[in-house]
Amino acid sequence: MSYIKSLIIKNVRAFFLLVAFGFLCSHNLYIKFDTYFLFPNDEATFSLFNGTFENSENIITRDRIIDATIVGNNEKSAIDTNLWKDKDSTVTYVEFKTGDAGTYVAGVSTKPRNIELTAEKFNDYLKHDGVVDMLKFREDNNLLAKDAVESYQKHVKAIYQVGDVKSNDWQTEFGYPIEFIPLENPYEKYTHESLEVKLLLDGKPLPNQLVYADYLKTNYFEDEHNHDHSHDNDEHEHANHEGHNHEGHNHNHDEHDHSDHDHDHDHEGHDHEGHNHDNDAHHHEGDDHNHDHSHSKGQQLRTNDQGVVKVDLPEDGIYYLRTIHMTNVTDNAQLTHESKWATLTFEVIHNIDEHGHDHNHHDHNHGEHHHAHDGHDHDHEGHDHDHHHDHEHEDGLPLWVFVLGSIAIIGVLFLVFRRKN
Amino acid sequence: MKTLSSKGVITFLFVCVPFLSFAHDVTSADQEILRNGGLWAYIRVGATHMLTGYDHLLFLAGVIFYLKGFKDILKFITVFTIGHCITLIGATYTGVTANEYLVDAVIALSVFYKGFENLGGFEKLNIKSPNLLLMVGLFGLIHGFGLSTRLQSFDIGSDQFLAKILCFNLGVEVGQILALIPIVFIITMSRKQKQFEAFYKAVNWYIVLAGVCLFIYQMYGYFNGYH
Repeated sequence: MSYIKSLIIKNVRAFFLLVAFGFLCSHNLYIKFDTYFLFPNDEATFSLFNGTFENSENIITRDRIIDATIVGNNEKSAIDTNLWKDKDSTVTYVEFKTGDAGTYVAGVSTKPRNIELTAEKFNDYLKHDGVVDMLKFREDNNLLAKDAVESYQKHVKAIYQVGDVKSNDWQTEFGYPIEFIPLENPYEKYTHESLEVKLLLDGKPLPNQLVYADYLKTNYFEDEHNHDHSHDNDEHEHANHEGHNHEGHNHNHDEHDHSDHDHDHDHEGHDHEGHNHDNDAHHHEGDDHNHDHSHSKGQQLRTNDQGVVKVDLPEDGIYYLRTIHMTNVTDNAQLTHESKWATLTFEVIHNIDEHGHDHNHHDHNHGEHHHAHDGHDHDHEGHDHDHHHDHEHEDGLPLWVFVLGSIAIIGVLFLVFRRKN
Repeated sequence: MKTLSSKGVITFLFVCVPFLSFAHDVTSADQEILRNGGLWAYIRVGATHMLTGYDHLLFLAGVIFYLKGFKDILKFITVFTIGHCITLIGATYTGVTANEYLVDAVIALSVFYKGFENLGGFEKLNIKSPNLLLMVGLFGLIHGFGLSTRLQSFDIGSDQFLAKILCFNLGVEVGQILALIPIVFIITMSRKQKQFEAFYKAVNWYIVLAGVCLFIYQMYGYFNGYH
């Protein structure tokens, strides 16, 4: 009986660990499009994901946004504060007109805020958000027991492609306290290549800084992914597809071993009481030691002397880079640390020629496809790029897995009861 | 050997079942379909939601298991349908909503309840089980409220508001019928089998466990989520 009890306890724990993935996420900020390939002069949406790149957990209140700008075709346009909307209390988004064809860059910068953390929680956060340089500094200087009051600020950018015309706006320097700037147009890069990205801190290249790069795999060119191919639609619609969810990405939480982690952070532990923080603040809550899995996955890179990292682009996908630059603060009685967070997102697909080759290789033949970007036709035979693809479901288990899993469970139970009978 | 077998079963269940509710979320793809697809899209999303709403399906399977004869099934499903139509349309139209986790937790309890009742739980506790038709009607109201909170989490705008609700509801009914066809078929066929008793127990234990796990999951979400 006690064996069964311990087994149940063990499994309940495992259950909570599994469930925890849905909730326990630190709050990086990203600009996220469902697809980064948009139609010219079309309606489009991008969201501010505050959490992980997969799941946003909080909205961003307007007072926090000190800059929101889109640059394209040599024009800089500020996003009107009133245009921001919130959805489900978790996502802040804006709808806008894409404009003429070109490579665009959007940026959002948020106000600095303070957070007070106990030493233990601060150390955990450093560890699990990959701020290992500061953690090492604390270890080396016997500071691990010191509590922290950290000022943090987030500055995020996304580069997206409208139509087929490649323009140079992607290299626009926004002048944020920290920002990524690619050295080449990401939309002139293709899967299996690499992209060099420079990191600027206060306008100067930042050497020896840890940068994490990961991606959500996209499958526009793979039929295996169970897209709902609507073959009656000839157009490859990239515009404004919120539903473009990439289940097949390589960020698989299940791969991580959580067995050694005790989950002792609670939300209170990271409460921002007295600091005038609202819920879109820099949350460390829930970084319950799961975060080795979510924050040091992907490529772990370090900027060279010129502040440049080289990001591999192994698969079609939406790539996201993130870094947290943290320093000790010695000239401010209120603060112990200051951090500046930056992210950059963009999307990479196959070279069309390569893609055609791959497609033939897989012998997919779903009829003709007309891939329309800005009126430029890429005739892809053999598939439909309809981004309305309806994954059997987006946020969890596909229906067939549920059905098969249920049948398996019932089957096992059936055998047990039959034996009993 | 027996111990190992029990361990395997329990582990398997605990690993698999928690994922049930994930598929039930409103997806941004659905939102996009609704934004671009007109009223038909509401029918489609309603149907899809029902077909992938495992908690609703498990509850329905539990109800069907308990019943014998097509007439009974029709009666109970009609009551369930009326129940969920009332709250789905009423709550959505009037804008009444509640925390999704709590609503889904109650729906999970309804799943547990049905499995528990089917397994003779009330008899074992020497309690008279409540009137099933009444309970199915009550749970219909709750499931409808769950569907309503889900629908309200979409940005459906104010244009053709009632029509959209009705279309979503229609889609739910279509999805329900589509789901019921295989459920009724399998359960009816299974009754003719020698091993029906073992099958009955297996499915209802599965429903009980699923209800419990869904409930834990939703409560966990309620206390730790950000909604």
